[in-house]
Amino acid sequence: MHHTSSPPRRPSVLHIFKIYYPDLFGGTLTVIRDICASLKDAFASAVLTCSQSAEKGEIIVNDVPVERVRSFGNVLSLPAAPAYPWRLWQKIAEHDLLALHAPFPLADLVFALGFGRNRPLVVHWHADIVTHAGLRWFVEPLMRQTLRRAKAIIVSDRVLIEATPLLREFEDKCHVVPFGIDTSVYDWPKIEPHHVNDRGRLVLACGRLVPYKGYDVLIRAAVNRKFEVWIIGEGAERARLEQLIAELGLGERVRLLGSVNDCERIKLMCLADVFVMPSVTNAETFGLSQLEAMAAGRPVVNTALDTAVPRVARHGMEAITVPPGDAEALGAAIDALISDPERRRRMGLSARTRAVSRYSATAFREGMESVYRSAVAAPCDKLAPADDQPEETSWFDSIRIAAALAWSDMRHRYVRSLLGPFWMSLQMAIVVAVLGSVIGQMSNADMLARLPMLALSMTAWTFLNSVVLDATTALQNSASLIRDRALPPVIFLLQCTFRQGLFALHNACVPLALWLLLTPHDLSGALTALPGLSLFVICTFALSLVLGALATRYRDLKPIIESTLMLAFLASPVIWSADMVNHRSTVMRLNPLTHLFAVWREPLAGGHVDATSIIYVLVALALLLCASVLTLVHLRKAAFWI
Amino acid sequence: MASISLRNVCLDYPLYGAYDFSLKRRLIGHLIREKGEMRIVRAVDHVTIEAEAGARIGLAGPNGSGKSTLLRLIAGVYPPSSGRVAIKGNVVPLLGLNAGVNLDFVADDNIALLLRISGRKPTRAVIDEIWAFTELEERMQRLPLRMFSSGMLMRVLFATATAFPADILLLDEWLSVVDERFAAKAEQRLQNLVSQAAIVIIASHDQPLLRRTCTSIINLDHGRIASTVTVEQPSALSFELREKRA
Repeated sequence: MHHTSSPPRRPSVLHIFKIYYPDLFGGTLTVIRDICASLKDAFASAVLTCSQSAEKGEIIVNDVPVERVRSFGNVLSLPAAPAYPWRLWQKIAEHDLLALHAPFPLADLVFALGFGRNRPLVVHWHADIVTHAGLRWFVEPLMRQTLRRAKAIIVSDRVLIEATPLLREFEDKCHVVPFGIDTSVYDWPKIEPHHVNDRGRLVLACGRLVPYKGYDVLIRAAVNRKFEVWIIGEGAERARLEQLIAELGLGERVRLLGSVNDCERIKLMCLADVFVMPSVTNAETFGLSQLEAMAAGRPVVNTALDTAVPRVARHGMEAITVPPGDAEALGAAIDALISDPERRRRMGLSARTRAVSRYSATAFREGMESVYRSAVAAPCDKLAPADDQPEETSWFDSIRIAAALAWSDMRHRYVRSLLGPFWMSLQMAIVVAVLGSVIGQMSNADMLARLPMLALSMTAWTFLNSVVLDATTALQNSASLIRDRALPPVIFLLQCTFRQGLFALHNACVPLALWLLLTPHDLSGALTALPGLSLFVICTFALSLVLGALATRYRDLKPIIESTLMLAFLASPVIWSADMVNHRSTVMRLNPLTHLFAVWREPLAGGHVDATSIIYVLVALALLLCASVLTLVHLRKAAFWI
Repeated sequence: MASISLRNVCLDYPLYGAYDFSLKRRLIGHLIREKGEMRIVRAVDHVTIEAEAGARIGLAGPNGSGKSTLLRLIAGVYPPSSGRVAIKGNVVPLLGLNAGVNLDFVADDNIALLLRISGRKPTRAVIDEIWAFTELEERMQRLPLRMFSSGMLMRVLFATATAFPADILLLDEWLSVVDERFAAKAEQRLQNLVSQAAIVIIASHDQPLLRRTCTSIINLDHGRIASTVTVEQPSALSFELREKRA
């Protein structure tokens, strides 16, 4: 940890981002580093990040302690660092303020699950998720949750709020703080008109080698032109770009310089004739490197994105703005500047003026500091934490109420008829008899001996099917209890499992009677089947919890669930037995129902369970439990849906 | 000690139209990049209420001003969109008496079930006491509620709902029973319950009632606190008198 003993303790800020120096250089990282450096008198900064390097986890970068959580590579632009959420959760308590640099869904996961509620959170919105937009449906709720609990959201330009629907929802929290840079370092060498060299053919670009930066467009733009292109930066695209350069035969004029230190980069910025920012998607929100080039007095060629990019360096004043992804227009714009030294000089001067006047480091520091200070000062009251409220109905009470309701449901059946739920058992007996005779016709095996198992399977299937189907309507049916008596919605989903459990006990008399009548009484399998049976029940409940909540939110899911259950039933060996269908049928093996039945049916029949089945069921259970936890978090909103 | 603390609480109530309940519609909307404009009503808007034991708060305001929603928010039905809600003490929301009633069951079983739902153990003594209060005949205890007249039903439900004291009592409109002879008795029982509770919040249109029972009245308008009126001492005095008479 970072120990400093300046008399009034500085509040500490934890910066949260997926990557940090020295693994990579790039705009976002520069911003984080600048925040840390410029606020060092007011805040003690620390960084929690991921790193693929196996070196020691805690290092110091520019006086800032950086903890690096081991990552095992990148999956969908995200570091695969399973320990990160855990470390983040632990570190939250040590700091006074959390600064999340979005997008970083791994951290959103921690905040969405409600951890760190007691610490103020500031979100630096660097970019929207653009690259893997297909995953939006999953990530967006997480991001929304994070933004909801954030004290403030910092963006670099107003246009980002307007162009991002998610940010518009939280417009009142957004603060516009344009990035600023220390322009004095670019005074070397003194920018004089005569510095613009007449040879004038050096085009510079700077940024990580990632697809959205559009360097492939820049390379294509260099075909059949005279200028030289130098690209500063490192990244996963390198191999592909190198290949492209080789294919187009531009090895003479296009160079990938790799990572370059700050001093060297400044020198290059001052040397270049034209700076290019060819980014192709809105992931490029600001373009810090074009601001650096402006500070160095370079004319810029940038792209017409819906972000701050064309607003930092404006078309016709400091830059020429071309359509993103248009290599021809990009090349033409660069050529236009290259061939006109006077225009370069004029644009360079106005770029320098704009950088100094509009994007000063001082304004940036003051803006950040005021947002941070008010976030720390405001009492931590952004969200009502569930654990702050007394347990108005504790878990135990919930279960008791659910049991009482289920019991009364069962009694209701008896009130209406003398036989009560046994009517259903009777129906079950008929179904088993009919099925048994039909199946007996189809296979020549001894059907009588198999009847008890068939009846038991049907009982279990009826249980699962009815629990899930009941759950899809349970919340709507109990609307008044939820809204007027403030009962937690989970009670009514639990009630479904309890009620159908009671009914299943009634139905179980059919297989029991058959078993007593038809087979030698061997109880040895019963005990070994119990763990499997409880797995079956837990899975059923978890499934009903998730689907019940979903079907309440989205009413059109119910018929889909119904037919899917029916399909799953038909494609599982519930009524068919192993020797009637090919056991290696792929559909049947993939069907979770097959394994869910296998884990208790096999031991009961005296066999042993396949390891695949156990693993399959455990994995399914783990997934269901994760989904259940998410559902329970969202179930707080169920009162809105009913 | 019971306390309620709402600080800067907002509640954005999503209004789901027929289409908003459809997953297919939503997925298609995503595919064709249709802007899914969810209609949201700010039902509670930056409300701050601090109540310690002894507080009697009246919520007044026109229909749709957010009275009931605020009560439900305090009861924990709706999660706040922002702001802080901290509540100590057990909350008894008497927002609707009909919830959880099964008309096919006999009165006894209904009382037992309703008590269970509110987390109480239904013992014979408790049920008998409740039944005694309703002044209904003994044999009716064994009749299904379906056979009761609406007045009788109200008696049973009222007696059950008010059987146990609460730390925090939330009332949506003063519970009244139409039956004339029973009305006075019910009023007294409710007054008694109110006097025993540490904090009472009543939402009502009835200004005289609020002035009679509350120490402060919050006027709501479009979910915002339009004004807060502190009721002068006399009302508290009359309240005491009422209690002495009881």
